[in-house]
Amino acid sequence: MKLGSETIGNGDQIGGERGGKNHYSRLYRKFVFLTLICSLAPLFLVGWGIYIYYSGFSRMRIENYFKSQVEHHRGIIELFLRERTSDLQLVIFTHSPDYLQKTPNLRRVFNVMNREGCFFTDLGIIDDQGRHLAYVGPYDLMGKNYSKTFWFKEVMKKGVYISDMFMGFRNAPHFIIAVLRTEGNRKWILRASIDTEYFRSLVENVKMGRTGEVYLSNREGILQTTPRFSGKIMEKAPLPAAFFHKESGIGILETDRDDPNQQFPRQIIAYTWLQNPRWKLVIKQDYSEAFRDVNHANRAALIFLHLSLLVILIISVISTRYMIKVIKKRDEEADRLNKQLTQASKLASLGELSAGVAHEINNPLAIILTENQVIRDSVEETPNLDDSFKTELFTSLSQVDAQVQRCNLITQNLLRFSRRTKSRLETVNLNAFLEEIIQLMEGRAKGMGIQFSADLDKDLPAFLSDPSQLQQVFLNLITNAFDAHDGKPYGTISISTRSNNQREGVEIVVADTGSGISPENMEKMFDPFFTTKPVGKGTGLGLSISYSIIRRLGGDISVQSEIGKGTQFNLFLPFMPPADVQENLDDVFINPHSSA
Amino acid sequence: MKIPRILLVDDEVAFANNVLKLLSKRGYDVIAVNDGESAIRTLGEKEFDVVILDMKMPGMDGIATLKEIKEKEPLVEVVILTGHGTVESGIEGMQLGAFDFVMKPANIADLHEKVCQAYQRKLIEEERIKQQESGR
Repeated sequence: MKLGSETIGNGDQIGGERGGKNHYSRLYRKFVFLTLICSLAPLFLVGWGIYIYYSGFSRMRIENYFKSQVEHHRGIIELFLRERTSDLQLVIFTHSPDYLQKTPNLRRVFNVMNREGCFFTDLGIIDDQGRHLAYVGPYDLMGKNYSKTFWFKEVMKKGVYISDMFMGFRNAPHFIIAVLRTEGNRKWILRASIDTEYFRSLVENVKMGRTGEVYLSNREGILQTTPRFSGKIMEKAPLPAAFFHKESGIGILETDRDDPNQQFPRQIIAYTWLQNPRWKLVIKQDYSEAFRDVNHANRAALIFLHLSLLVILIISVISTRYMIKVIKKRDEEADRLNKQLTQASKLASLGELSAGVAHEINNPLAIILTENQVIRDSVEETPNLDDSFKTELFTSLSQVDAQVQRCNLITQNLLRFSRRTKSRLETVNLNAFLEEIIQLMEGRAKGMGIQFSADLDKDLPAFLSDPSQLQQVFLNLITNAFDAHDGKPYGTISISTRSNNQREGVEIVVADTGSGISPENMEKMFDPFFTTKPVGKGTGLGLSISYSIIRRLGGDISVQSEIGKGTQFNLFLPFMPPADVQENLDDVFINPHSSA
Repeated sequence: MKIPRILLVDDEVAFANNVLKLLSKRGYDVIAVNDGESAIRTLGEKEFDVVILDMKMPGMDGIATLKEIKEKEPLVEVVILTGHGTVESGIEGMQLGAFDFVMKPANIADLHEKVCQAYQRKLIEEERIKQQESGR
């Protein structure tokens, strides 16, 4: 279990500066949103454009189809009625009334007329008084007088007349075609009723799918044929006559929501007026059926759109996730570098400051020291001075000397901490070097009940480093370890080395079984002047000096600690110090004492 | 025996006075000045054996003064006074011909020792030159 870990060389605790997880989830949402907007906007635009164009085009095509159907059908019906009228005219103008009013003759003519199909139900000759002269047909109409009927009056007036559907004497829906021949002052009429079934089949044989229907209605809106769904012959047509004000037209019938009797599905309707008689031909079909193909295509497009949406969503989520991962990694890297840079610049500026302070303090210290000597000299030269006074004075002066030396030590440390000190690179056998240090410290350790345990990598090669600075680092770490055992009767300081060929360097671990470092101190422990030792015992520079030395030699230090269990320093030193340290090799360090 | 003549150059007046007092008592003939220009001037007026030269001074600094001294009086030995932060300047001074350097805050005993050694060397050097000249 680790309570805390502080790594300066590698720097953890990343992302805190950027608002942590929230920052990335916000960024994530923003990216997904933007990606979706960017990809969906053109998709919808294109989709909408295609939809508008395609549905307009399909609607036009379907409407044209309806228009041509209704026109074509009108042609057929009109042709049929014209042909039947011509049949009657041919008969009346080629046969004399005397011939026709003989029933067998009329029957022969009737049979000839019906030879190509059962067009006519019956045939009759009527004189200008409305009397039936002869009749061939299934009904008993002989002797009926038509002088009062509308059609009789019309045919007498116009010469040719096609009636609307009516019940008449036979009491069944039918319509008649009547033609008039006038010769001198003699007039007679040939009248035939059209076979209703035949006519209806003619009209209704336009099959418009499952919901389509065709019907004829007259000017008053009375049905002339029976539609498939809406009403029966001779009944009022379902659509008001006012709807058909143009000669021909096409439209969409919407249901009238307010009128419960007018509930029907949406329909497409096409109509045209016949010339004679003035009937309107209506073709209609449920909109959903007429536009089935279009709707089908629209549905397919909609499914495709949804699929595209899904794919875009998935892609944008995946790509954003990847992007965020990359950004996060970059940020972490940047944060790590930033943290290192901050630490380095903090130490650098503190180094500058310390160097300046140390240097400025040196001058007054030098004066104090000489002043001290001046007093000493004066006292020595003064005769008749009390011995006890002399002793006391010299004790005080020695104390001044000692304190100046202490200040001197502090300024030396400060200056060592500052970067002005240059490295002196030599080939170092680290194992032998560490053993020497352990030997050096063993005496003091024994007195405190502390044991050293060394686990050194035998294959560790000798490498280029600065032994005097390294000595300082290890002495600092070991001194700290000693202090951490303060109050404990015994303990262990273990030192191990492992060569790491991948990183081309050596990993050194210095672990103690001391009191450990609290997490809040962990963050500050490498800061200059930070110390937990009692006043006068530590300057708070040991670890920051060690840190700056190791960093200068191209390595790093990290620390793990647990309160009450101990602390472990993990060091890494590269086999080759950085180039800028090596460049300084030219400035050969001269020991001032060796030249004396 | 000849009394060693010492020129002390330090801009810290109190320090210079103290060192002057202390070295005088130890049997030296000391003159103290507070800047490089005065040092060069005084050196032209009087003869000296050893110059104690502070490195960090306003105006003409230690290195410039040292160069000038070595140019004018190559036989005069120079002991450099330097702070810890300017060890490099002490080394530079030695490369320019200074005898040695003493770190501030200087212990008077150390300084005394260095001055003594410098003076010895100057005497030896003078002797050598004399012999060379008489040998010719």
